[in-house]
Amino acid sequence: MNWRLGFLVTAAACAVLPFAVPQHSLTILVEALILGLFAMSLDLLVGYCRLYSFGHAAAYGLGAYSYALILTYVPLPLPAAILLAVAVTIVIAIPIAWICTRSTGVSFAMLTLAFAQLGYAMLFRFRDVTGGSDGLVGIPRHPGPFGIDWFQSKLGYYYLVLACLFGSYLLCRAIVRSPFGAVLAGIRENEAKTIALGYNTRAYKITTVVLAYGFGGLAGALYAAFAGFASPELFFWLTSGRVLIMVIVGGAGTLIGPILGGVSFVFLEHQLSQVTDLWPLIFGTIFMAFVMFAPQGIWGILTSRFRSRRAVSGSDSGKEAPGAAT
Amino acid sequence: MPLLECRGLVRRFGALVAVDDIDLAVEPGEIRAVIGPNGAGKSTVFNLITSVLKPSAGQVIFAGEDITGMPVHEVAQKGIARTFQLCHIFPALTVRENVRIAAQARDGRRWQFLGGGRVLNRSTSAADEAIARMRLTRMADATAAMLSHGDQRLLEIAMAIAQKPRLLMLDEPTQGLSIEETGRAVQILKDMLMEGDLSVLLVEHDMEVVFKLADNITVLHRGRVIADGSPAAVRASAQVRSAYLGGAQ
Repeated sequence: MNWRLGFLVTAAACAVLPFAVPQHSLTILVEALILGLFAMSLDLLVGYCRLYSFGHAAAYGLGAYSYALILTYVPLPLPAAILLAVAVTIVIAIPIAWICTRSTGVSFAMLTLAFAQLGYAMLFRFRDVTGGSDGLVGIPRHPGPFGIDWFQSKLGYYYLVLACLFGSYLLCRAIVRSPFGAVLAGIRENEAKTIALGYNTRAYKITTVVLAYGFGGLAGALYAAFAGFASPELFFWLTSGRVLIMVIVGGAGTLIGPILGGVSFVFLEHQLSQVTDLWPLIFGTIFMAFVMFAPQGIWGILTSRFRSRRAVSGSDSGKEAPGAAT
Repeated sequence: MPLLECRGLVRRFGALVAVDDIDLAVEPGEIRAVIGPNGAGKSTVFNLITSVLKPSAGQVIFAGEDITGMPVHEVAQKGIARTFQLCHIFPALTVRENVRIAAQARDGRRWQFLGGGRVLNRSTSAADEAIARMRLTRMADATAAMLSHGDQRLLEIAMAIAQKPRLLMLDEPTQGLSIEETGRAVQILKDMLMEGDLSVLLVEHDMEVVFKLADNITVLHRGRVIADGSPAAVRASAQVRSAYLGGAQ
């Protein structure tokens, strides 16, 4: 009940937010929400399966380029093009997931990185189709279906992105709390035992990688549609590294944390880059500080504050959780 | 027909023959213990039956079906539940969550990834039942890592019985427990075994535990079966005495 209230309040606040901020910051707001969605998709792997993907840019890039390429050939309405781009990302993700999940730990990270870099290299190899280093520019946002066109305006697009983010969050939340999600917790805690209990853990991991690619592809497609272009850096390992930092700083294994991580990352970058060219240095420092002093991340800090305050008020002193389970 | 039958199992590690032509059978409802000194091949036999290791030769037949070399998770799906010598649990999850994941393993809808409230409720009540049988109800909401070593052992057994197995395999369930903890664990196990007609294969070091629980005993020595029979017969066997009991005490 508490959770539902929080969700509704947050959704309402986000809905009125565009009217409370200056018009030009709407661009950053949309970008922040898209990166929040992207970070949350990676959290399915990092936070719930302890699979550290260092190539999640592949999902983002695949979503963005699929969207752009679809529209190069077929003038589909925006929602249909986005859904189709997600479907393409998912189909390509299946063999990638099948190969990457053959290994774990560092080799898993390296394999995912290799696939992202492979995508990056292919953009330059097939420059007739992909535009090479220029990327694909001038991607349209077609109206429809049924004459719907509100998402063509910037404000309308903000609401579309908001709906995608909240919808994806609800889906992911349902997934991690389902019987399937319970198995993921088992894999995270002790994979050998989970296999011995009778679970085909590899199949669960493949499914999760594909799901993470699907949500990541949605973020990529939303980005391409918003920016109007898709460039090779979406596939680049820096994108993978940044989203991994967002997840860890936000708080892995919480879904909300990585969204906050992604959102705050975009805002900080925007603010700092206006002041100094040294902002990556500041990011590095923040990241190190979180890893060393607050491994539970932003959301972890927020919720532990809340919890300890409740414990002090003494409403239910006996029910204090022994150690953070998430 | 025996529930489990191992025929001529062999497992080599390089030049070492850890398991050398072993025949072993568990009848339905039988509680059979496998004993032997360190390095006799007990744990290797366990790993061969559960397919964690592939045999160099021989067959494992379970309920009339050849399960030799089957993937580990499929062996579990056939109805063989095991515990590990070094306790394997999910330390950051609560006791109930640990057992719930085990109970859900053979649920037809374990793959459901949206909703699934009914599967979760079903597994939770099966878990609570298994937890009660291991006398862990008081600890059900505690994080597994907070439990004493003895309770963690019982937790792993609760997970195994929540799988509703046809054959329960316990690998040294009282290893590392104090005398009091061992006594308590044996009592709980005994009560549980009296209730149902579970078939059990038990590897154990502690002779007292074996003689209290087992119907029949197989004695291994250097990868071979040197004796097989009732506890009284095994205790009386001169060969067993010289190989194991005498040497150990």
